[in-house]
Amino acid sequence: MRRFDYHGAETLEQASRLLTDLGDDTFLFNGGTDLLVEIRERLRRVRNVVDIKGIPGLSDITYDETRGLTFGALVTVGRLERLALVRERYPNLRDALASLGSIQVRNRATVVGNVCRASPSADTIPPLIADGAFIHIYSRTNMRVVPLAEFFTGPGKTVLAKGEIVTGITVPPAGDNSGKAYIKHGRRKAMELSTVGVAVSLSMDDGVCSDIRIALGAVGATVLRAPAAEAILRGTRLDAATVKSAADKAMEECTPISNVRASADYRRDMVGVLTGRAITQALEASA
Amino acid sequence: MNINTPIEEREFKIVGKSVKRDDVLEKVTGEAEYTGDVKLAGMLHGKIKRAAIAHARIKSIDVSKALAYPGVKAVLTHENVPRVLHYGSPHPRSASCTKDQYILDDKVRFWGEGVAAVAAISEEIADEALDLIEVEYEALPAVFEPEDAALPGAPLIHDVGPGGNLVLDPVRVNRGDVEAGFAQADFILEGTFSGGRPHPAYMEPNVCIADWDGSNKLTFWTSTQTSFMVRGILAEVLGLPLTKVRVLVDHMGGGFGAKQDCFQHEFLCALLAKETRRPVKMEFTRHETFVAGRARHPCKVWLKQGFKNDGTLVARDMKLVYDSGAYGSHGPGVTIVGTTAATSLYRCENVRLEGRCVYTNTPINGAFRGYGVVQSYYALDIQMDEAAERLGMDPADLKLKNVVRAGDIAPSGHPIVGHGLEICLQHGIDVLDWKSLRNRDRTPDPKRPHIRKGWGIGCEMHGSSAYPGIKEQGNATVKVNEDGTVTLLTGAAGLGTGAHTALAQIVAEELGVRFEDVGVIHGDTDVVPWDIGAFASHTTYLVGTAAKMAATKVRASVLERAAMKLQVKADELDLSEGKIFVTAEPGRFMSVAEAMGPSRGIPAANIVANGTYEPTKSYSFAAHFTEVHVDTETGIVEVKRVVPVHDIGRVIHPIAAQGQIEGGIQQGIGHTLTEDYVIDKKTGRSLNAGLVDYKMPLSMDMPDIETIILEAAPDPGGPWGAKGVGEDPIIAIGPSIANAIYDAIGVRFHHYPITPEDILKALREKGA
Repeated sequence: MRRFDYHGAETLEQASRLLTDLGDDTFLFNGGTDLLVEIRERLRRVRNVVDIKGIPGLSDITYDETRGLTFGALVTVGRLERLALVRERYPNLRDALASLGSIQVRNRATVVGNVCRASPSADTIPPLIADGAFIHIYSRTNMRVVPLAEFFTGPGKTVLAKGEIVTGITVPPAGDNSGKAYIKHGRRKAMELSTVGVAVSLSMDDGVCSDIRIALGAVGATVLRAPAAEAILRGTRLDAATVKSAADKAMEECTPISNVRASADYRRDMVGVLTGRAITQALEASA
Repeated sequence: MNINTPIEEREFKIVGKSVKRDDVLEKVTGEAEYTGDVKLAGMLHGKIKRAAIAHARIKSIDVSKALAYPGVKAVLTHENVPRVLHYGSPHPRSASCTKDQYILDDKVRFWGEGVAAVAAISEEIADEALDLIEVEYEALPAVFEPEDAALPGAPLIHDVGPGGNLVLDPVRVNRGDVEAGFAQADFILEGTFSGGRPHPAYMEPNVCIADWDGSNKLTFWTSTQTSFMVRGILAEVLGLPLTKVRVLVDHMGGGFGAKQDCFQHEFLCALLAKETRRPVKMEFTRHETFVAGRARHPCKVWLKQGFKNDGTLVARDMKLVYDSGAYGSHGPGVTIVGTTAATSLYRCENVRLEGRCVYTNTPINGAFRGYGVVQSYYALDIQMDEAAERLGMDPADLKLKNVVRAGDIAPSGHPIVGHGLEICLQHGIDVLDWKSLRNRDRTPDPKRPHIRKGWGIGCEMHGSSAYPGIKEQGNATVKVNEDGTVTLLTGAAGLGTGAHTALAQIVAEELGVRFEDVGVIHGDTDVVPWDIGAFASHTTYLVGTAAKMAATKVRASVLERAAMKLQVKADELDLSEGKIFVTAEPGRFMSVAEAMGPSRGIPAANIVANGTYEPTKSYSFAAHFTEVHVDTETGIVEVKRVVPVHDIGRVIHPIAAQGQIEGGIQQGIGHTLTEDYVIDKKTGRSLNAGLVDYKMPLSMDMPDIETIILEAAPDPGGPWGAKGVGEDPIIAIGPSIANAIYDAIGVRFHHYPITPEDILKALREKGA
């Protein structure tokens, strides 16, 4: 493993300064489950890491009926996964959390870290986007809140400027008659990167779909929404034929690549299959 | 021993019981010392510079910057290491081997091959120094597929061997008259089959440590299955007598066959230590275990068989081409074993086989559990299912009709002992009520109409020992200590299989002492008797018999000693559970300690005996019955249930044997469905050399496994009829899955791994 320097920060301001001042090849170090692997496998050149785990106030989890769920940057995947609240109100997020890595990885990895890595195949991003999550960003001059759907600019790329640090994520509350699903498709059941991941969050009003968001993982440069497929579904009763045509539309909306995990054609096929299944699952959950 | 030798029956006290393994406590507490745990004062760390080109001549190599880098102590290139042509596999007694390796050469034959080595004060500095080595290559045209490598005019990868990129002359086996057989056939099936490049992915990466002392003696720790072979090849290449090379290996984190090669890093580690006069450690990264380790040979098989309408097999014509990668390694052995295996399994009097092994500019393929037979039996067993379908027969019936029987000539040329395979098949058919499984209601669950269920059978047989390719020899030394405890010295490596426990059980049983009173000393070539290595499913069979022979001898000596003390004749005594007693008067007894120890002016006894055993071969058998669920929309195949029925003769340690079977099934599910080490066929670059994208099944992917071990066909060659089990399970599981997939969705696959994409594509073609 190549050598790098470790810097432990005690405040956000200090961490932000270090990120700005230490120059290129300086990275924020949170759970480290991805960063250390990247260093070891020489996928990322790293000279400095800035550890934020010693900064107080970033480990909180709060929930209220109007604002929803807010969790800090240091909240681990495992901790969130095990919360009854998450299991009951955000089953899509819960399924995504439970599908990430292994129990050991989940007890170390953070949700915010998984999001900030900005991998198109990250498991937690599709359900958070489908739920309309917001991301809280600290900088030394101002704080800002960005819809998660607008956070990503490409694989591994986000809107974060140098010295900016994500402090937490807020997920709006689930409304009455809402239904959620996340389906991950991989080559095995644990320790696996998604070949395709599909999240659906919908609301039903007297048997009619009043709102729906579909987020597609690992089939584009970022996690994608499927707006045209959503438009087909809104205002309908989500009968099988409509779901099928929306799933077909989602296949057109995605932009997968071929790699050693799967071909682009197969990924596109799976967007069709899994979108249909996720809508059906979410619909059943809404009842 | 021949097949008529009676197998001794007795009431076993230790054999056949799952005693607590001798290594279990230190392993679960983390105390067990593996090679990578060895730390020596002043130890340097070695790293290998690997080529990023698949076929090239090195025009120049400049190490000046690396040598000047602070902390770097030595750099080796082809210009300053001994140029000794040597074998790739450590079995020079196998006459088919070609010497085709240098420690470092001025030529690169695959992407990832080592071209230089660095020793530095830390692993990080050694790693950083690699980037400072400047190599200028003259690219050569490369070949990545055996078909291309075998074409006239293809670029030649070696200038040794038979030529035409062949690793060895084609292996040809002819029995009976194939043309006459086909002439009698009512129908003929012909097909091509292919296998991917699975990697054993053992948990412990390859690692070694070299240390030269003041007398110019090399002590060498290495994670190897064949410590005496490593000693021999190091001595040969370094020009040393065997007294000056000591190889040590304690616990190992697996090997699966792949840790029985002459590895480049082992030579380089020894040479870096010699150059620097300091201990040097060299440990592979996970990436290196792929590019510089050994995988299973990808294989293309063409198979044509003739059948009569009653299901009788009348002719078999088969051609196999194994992809050796850039060096020969175990290519000759794998080709011979994999090809000749096809003489058997299903009876056929007229057989014509041809096996080839071809060099390509890809990473080296070597020995891996199943050793060429995984490939050939995959084809045989799937085509047998196709024949059943053509005949309108239940595949279980057709297989039962054709499986080898006692007295049939095995691939080794010897008659098979026992109806092992027939009994395994019949047993599985009975316990599963196979007929009702075949005739079950196949209507899909209306809630999950896309899930289709299927059952398949896979059969296999595999030899314990590498005979006749290698004339094997097992050795053991047993000493009885003056306190009545016993020490077994063995060269057999402990890969993690529990072999040393089984050997101790055999010694304790034969000698008549408690299992806890037998200690095992292993893994030090200066101390233990010569050993051929732990491979070919042979340790229990081969070394077990040698240990039993040694125990028989020391038992006689102990009884002589006791007879003197008890003032009776030795043949009037018996020895059981550490107690020596007069058979006719059980009240007259003494402990082994009392017999051995000093008394009344008589010094303690020194009782030591050797056992040497040179076997032929026994065969173990298995039939696997496997249920799969196929998702017809995603193409995902889930293996839900496996009932493996094995005959391994006398079972020494039931839980260890069961563990071998379950592990082999897990590894076999891997290569059948998800595992494939992928080489880019344009550049030769590895596309998934790491565990991020090389996907082995994990615990959550495992089916229910209901292991059944029979003792129906014990072989007189093994201790009380024991045979091997290490490789068997990985051979049978693959075709059982492929046949189950056919049963589920009506699509035949002739290759592995069978990916979800393959399933969907085939379903669409079938629907179209």
